[in-house]
Amino acid sequence: MLSLKEVIISITNRCNLRCRMCDIPYEKNEELSTAEWKKVIRDASRLGAQTIVFSGGEPLFREDIFELISFTKNNSLNACVTSNGHLIDQQVAANLSASGVNVVNISIEGMKETHDFLRGAGSFDKAVSALANLRDYNIESTVASTVSKYNYAELLYVLEVAKEYKATTVRLQPFNIIFLKDSARQSEFLVDKLDIQKIENVVKRFIDLSKEYKIFINPESYLLKIPAYLTGKKFYPDNCGALWYSCPINSKGDVFPCWVEGANNKLIGNVREESLYGLWLSKKRIKMVNTIINNGCQGCLMSCYDEAFNHNFLKKNIFNKFKKIKKIADCQRVINKVRQSLKSQITKFKLRYRFYTSYRGSLTSILKRRLVGIFNKTRYPEKNSRGGKEAILLEINQVKNKIKKEIHSL
Amino acid sequence: MSYIKRFDQDLAYYFSELLEQPLAKPLWIYLSLSHRCTYRCQMCGVVKILKGYELDIEDVKRVFDELASWDWDFNIVITGGEPFLRNDIFEILKYAEKTNLKIEVVSNGSLINQEIAEKIISSGLSNIAISLDGAQEETHDFIREKGAFKKAIEAIKYLVAAKKINGFGPQISVWTTIMKANVGELYDIISLVNDLGVECLVYHPVVVAQEDMQNTSSQARFWLNENDINKLKEQIDKIVDYQKNNGLVVFIHDPYLWIKHFKGQLTKKEWKCNPFVFVNIGPDGELRSCGAAFGNIKEMPLNACLETPEAAQARKVMKNCAKPCLQTCWANPEADSLTNIIDIFIHDLGKDKFEKKDKKELLLAALSKLAVYEELLKKC
Repeated sequence: MLSLKEVIISITNRCNLRCRMCDIPYEKNEELSTAEWKKVIRDASRLGAQTIVFSGGEPLFREDIFELISFTKNNSLNACVTSNGHLIDQQVAANLSASGVNVVNISIEGMKETHDFLRGAGSFDKAVSALANLRDYNIESTVASTVSKYNYAELLYVLEVAKEYKATTVRLQPFNIIFLKDSARQSEFLVDKLDIQKIENVVKRFIDLSKEYKIFINPESYLLKIPAYLTGKKFYPDNCGALWYSCPINSKGDVFPCWVEGANNKLIGNVREESLYGLWLSKKRIKMVNTIINNGCQGCLMSCYDEAFNHNFLKKNIFNKFKKIKKIADCQRVINKVRQSLKSQITKFKLRYRFYTSYRGSLTSILKRRLVGIFNKTRYPEKNSRGGKEAILLEINQVKNKIKKEIHSL
Repeated sequence: MSYIKRFDQDLAYYFSELLEQPLAKPLWIYLSLSHRCTYRCQMCGVVKILKGYELDIEDVKRVFDELASWDWDFNIVITGGEPFLRNDIFEILKYAEKTNLKIEVVSNGSLINQEIAEKIISSGLSNIAISLDGAQEETHDFIREKGAFKKAIEAIKYLVAAKKINGFGPQISVWTTIMKANVGELYDIISLVNDLGVECLVYHPVVVAQEDMQNTSSQARFWLNENDINKLKEQIDKIVDYQKNNGLVVFIHDPYLWIKHFKGQLTKKEWKCNPFVFVNIGPDGELRSCGAAFGNIKEMPLNACLETPEAAQARKVMKNCAKPCLQTCWANPEADSLTNIIDIFIHDLGKDKFEKKDKKELLLAALSKLAVYEELLKKC
């Protein structure tokens, strides 16, 4: 079982923008106090989490946000803030820098007109100036976009913005219905099936350009699924990691197995009534997660589990590609593709290997150790190995005899 | 420590780990009063975490009162940050002396002048440790800060002089962290320290903190490569040779394990943490053994903190830890196997000349203690 890695706190429902794809600000606002959130953060630290993500609404609306961030940092956790950038002027950027925040995530949807159309007039300029202010104070910034019918053509422009303001990462996520109250409006954002080729081309160019600019993005296999998803297809990962390692909490303090299941009223509990520590380790949660995995989930393609797709990349996709071969002429093309994907995996492996050797010794010594472990199990003396209960009782008896012998020898 | 008490404690550690029940109290209690420090050493990131927290003196006193009532042999080590940055440090030491506790202090020596050295010597400590990371000024200053070497040496000189005048006082020891920068000078430190009049020298290999573990570049900065490991081998041979004839150096574990530590070949069979041996009280009052915190001394007594479900969870994580880290204080290697514990007990009895009657009594007491644990095990 995976342990808790990140806690995503939707700290408030208040927001200064009324975006087209999100109805959260219209929901009833009920917030926990500073002390209650601090307790949650401390519990997260006790559970071994690494990151707290402050989201919302607009998290900077909370007056105590800087206090909570520095409290998070003091508990040796990483703090990450997701914002629309409206409130980040020089003063706020200075406060964020002083609080020790690790990453600030700003949403950019596309060019100025599109962004302003989706998020309200003037919001693009504010978001860009926020990126500039963050850069001035040396705070790591990342950019996020919600891909939909309106902005898929402008994804490359988002990369340009990220490059100009030295954002390290661009994360894409397709539009998702869970943030809307009225599910009839979903069709407004989906793409016509005839346009799927267009989006695919954009995503491929997006991947290439990000490599050129050295900007991190979601795993490629995840991005390549976005076009099909936007035409209405659902994707089910084998085992969604987000259920095991991330913990969403809304502004009321309700803890869900994941955001999407939360929208279906599946609730683990409330941090006001029970501590996060107890809730996370409770049998109720584990049972709930197991039923979701066994009975199938909504197939949401949210970016929180994009790693799950990455994991399956080599295993499945290569074989799928070979299955598709019908003509001999296709062979060369498929082999090229496989070679490319192998190349990217190899560079990843190289980086990992470099880290591994610096810590664990050279490759030959690692292999030697592994082989010795397999073929020659008795090489290490089994001095401290403890068998079952009986083995220990036997040892106790031996030891007793030893003492008795000593007594007799007196 | 009387032999039967040590035997009893070792048995308690062994069976608490086995049965996952807190039958034993900690052997080492580390007390970080605050994380403020005068230096920013390369291998240490403690200043960056828990900024702004200070352990209140009233809380410390309450903990000391509770500790004094324990029927257990343990050591309290005051670390930090730099403990002498606290204005009330001598008040704390005085209180500990009053309650008859065994206290050690670890310092970098930057704040110890003649006046403070005299105060330290007469404060009833059992041990004062100064960190010294190189035999040469450049090495130590490279690892710590410019001028740090001179200050550390001066501090040791003041302490030794003050102890001579006073006649008695704490053991004056030096702690050395083994890393890439100083691997060639480990043996040279012995003669330097011996000339100064230090009574004890402890080496411990650098442990890259969890926070820095993800940072590959910081790993490479301290970690030994193949070439350095050969150097380390030579140094260990020389040090072991010296230790046989002259003492001074105290090995907390087999020094040849250092090589395995740096090669990354240390297995759980050679070195294993006993999760009940060590506990750290942070400046925020939280108890930690390794990783997650499990109780706050501001909210409940220390004894209760050690028995929370969080503590059990943290110990489970420690027990299943895949990477033994060779921290000097976090294990009790003697209590690692039952046969070992008995052998040590019988060996210790042989050292002193007991009368036959007394010896028999002690051995019978040991037998009855074993029987108690046997019962406990059978019940599980």
